[in-house]
Amino acid sequence: MIINSIRQSFGETLCKLAKTNKNIYVVNADLKSPLFLNNFAKKFPHRFIECGVAETNAAGVAAGLAKTGKTVFLTSFACFSPAINWNTIKQSICYNNSNVKIIGSHAGLLSTDLGATHQMLEDISLMRSLPNMEVFSPLDALETTKIIKAVTFSKKPAYIRLVRPSTPNFFDPKLDFTIGKSHRLQSGKDITIIGHGPILEEAFQVQAKLNLDSKYKKISLEIINCSSIKPLDTITILKSVKKTGRLICLEDHQQNGGLGEVVASLILSNNISCKFIHLAVDNKFGRSAKTYQELYDYYGIGINDLLSAVKKIL
Amino acid sequence: MLPFIKLHPLQIVSQNLRHDLLDMVYKNGGHIGGSLSSLDLITAVYFGNLFNFKRDHFILSAGHLAPALYVVLANAGYFPKNFLDNYSSFKSLLQGHVSAEVPGVEYSSGSLGQGLSFACGLALGDKKHTTICLTSDGEHQEGQIWESLLFAKKYKLGNLINIVDFNQMQIDGPVSQIMPLDNLASKYISFGWTVTTVDGHDFKQIISALKNAQKSDYPNCIIAKTVLGKGISFMENNFHYHDVKNLPEALFNKAKSEL
Repeated sequence: MIINSIRQSFGETLCKLAKTNKNIYVVNADLKSPLFLNNFAKKFPHRFIECGVAETNAAGVAAGLAKTGKTVFLTSFACFSPAINWNTIKQSICYNNSNVKIIGSHAGLLSTDLGATHQMLEDISLMRSLPNMEVFSPLDALETTKIIKAVTFSKKPAYIRLVRPSTPNFFDPKLDFTIGKSHRLQSGKDITIIGHGPILEEAFQVQAKLNLDSKYKKISLEIINCSSIKPLDTITILKSVKKTGRLICLEDHQQNGGLGEVVASLILSNNISCKFIHLAVDNKFGRSAKTYQELYDYYGIGINDLLSAVKKIL
Repeated sequence: MLPFIKLHPLQIVSQNLRHDLLDMVYKNGGHIGGSLSSLDLITAVYFGNLFNFKRDHFILSAGHLAPALYVVLANAGYFPKNFLDNYSSFKSLLQGHVSAEVPGVEYSSGSLGQGLSFACGLALGDKKHTTICLTSDGEHQEGQIWESLLFAKKYKLGNLINIVDFNQMQIDGPVSQIMPLDNLASKYISFGWTVTTVDGHDFKQIISALKNAQKSDYPNCIIAKTVLGKGISFMENNFHYHDVKNLPEALFNKAKSEL
């Protein structure tokens, strides 16, 4: 399994795209190095706007700059942007429909040692509630590249959630990313597992465990990568849930406002009868640890939690 | 015999706009106090023959001053004047707080402190033209304003003009009591801005300050000392007239007679 960094993929992809697309600008809030934007800043100093530790002004500047015809990437950590500057995102970016792509890096419990203040678990909730905003959470480094390319062709505001550590690559290089489309990473018949971001790796590990268990070896999981959280691929999701009748939503985010609520609402609205488990952080703040596995186990979103949920829902 | 005072031509324009503004707010309610204090400033920006808004930009950061901007835009021909009759009504294009859906409006606002950041972005992306922002003094209590002041200085936004409607009143009372700004001009100077202080109801001073600001190499601030509710005696400096819902007919008639 190839391991790559999602945020490095972002920084390098943007730098490549900026060579030919002269409209790409970065508005940064003192986090150039962690987002691998040193090269961008060096090669395109006039298109790299440094705002310092002032995310609220940065969001307003990004919105105004976008109105002069630029495609602006507003870059920071998710715990600051969109967390500190939400109302500027609402008014200056969304209500004014400005072409700003918000990069929220270091999201989720994967920022292991940093603790509660930096483990952003509410970003999807904050962003999906805004009209005009599109929300994406890439599975891996490869899909990050595809998502960054796709959003530069769109004029809409977008939020892209990135994570800090290097993570395994799952995305099929032959596939394209399309806004509003989800890919099935694995076809199955018994349980639909839907999620976003690198945590979906757990589903493959759980399938491997099931395969080795005589009682469960015939169970197959249908794994859906819901990287396009808004707009949502309702067709793919509904089709799968109609087939399996069982759904587990897995995410490194609060239950409140997360993908699980989006999908639950979709299923109820379509009068589909289905068993449902939402594995996400249950109304708690994060905390420090040396490995993410310790945190995933503590907050009930680890591999064993998923395995238990699979057995329970059958 | 009264001494003969030659009126600035824009004084006559703004006097007519005051009538439109009062009529509009009498019918629909609205933020009249600040609209009357800022009206001469917006009038100078649009009717002073200094800017071309096919290229230059005007950002109303204090979005509750929408009545003043709408009245100016209607009279400048951006949309029919009868739109003013239904201001903030359900099917009206004219939202209560200023909206970019309205012809001539470049930025939707209402939440204070954001417009100057947006104006910084515009000024940076369009250096060949002038970006004018209008903020209120009370708005300067928002931290975002001070972030944008640092930014404008760093990026040498000499094409940016921030006009401050300095009426010294806010919803709950005088700015000096709610949260004093003290010497705002010296604060702007220490942030590296060029500052001019003017009488915000004297067109000669406003126009002159706007002309000088266009030549500056540094971001420009025009602190315009204004009177809340300007032109209507019982509204002047009376913070209870920050906004009105239902102005009684008798008071409306009194106000009309004073204009």
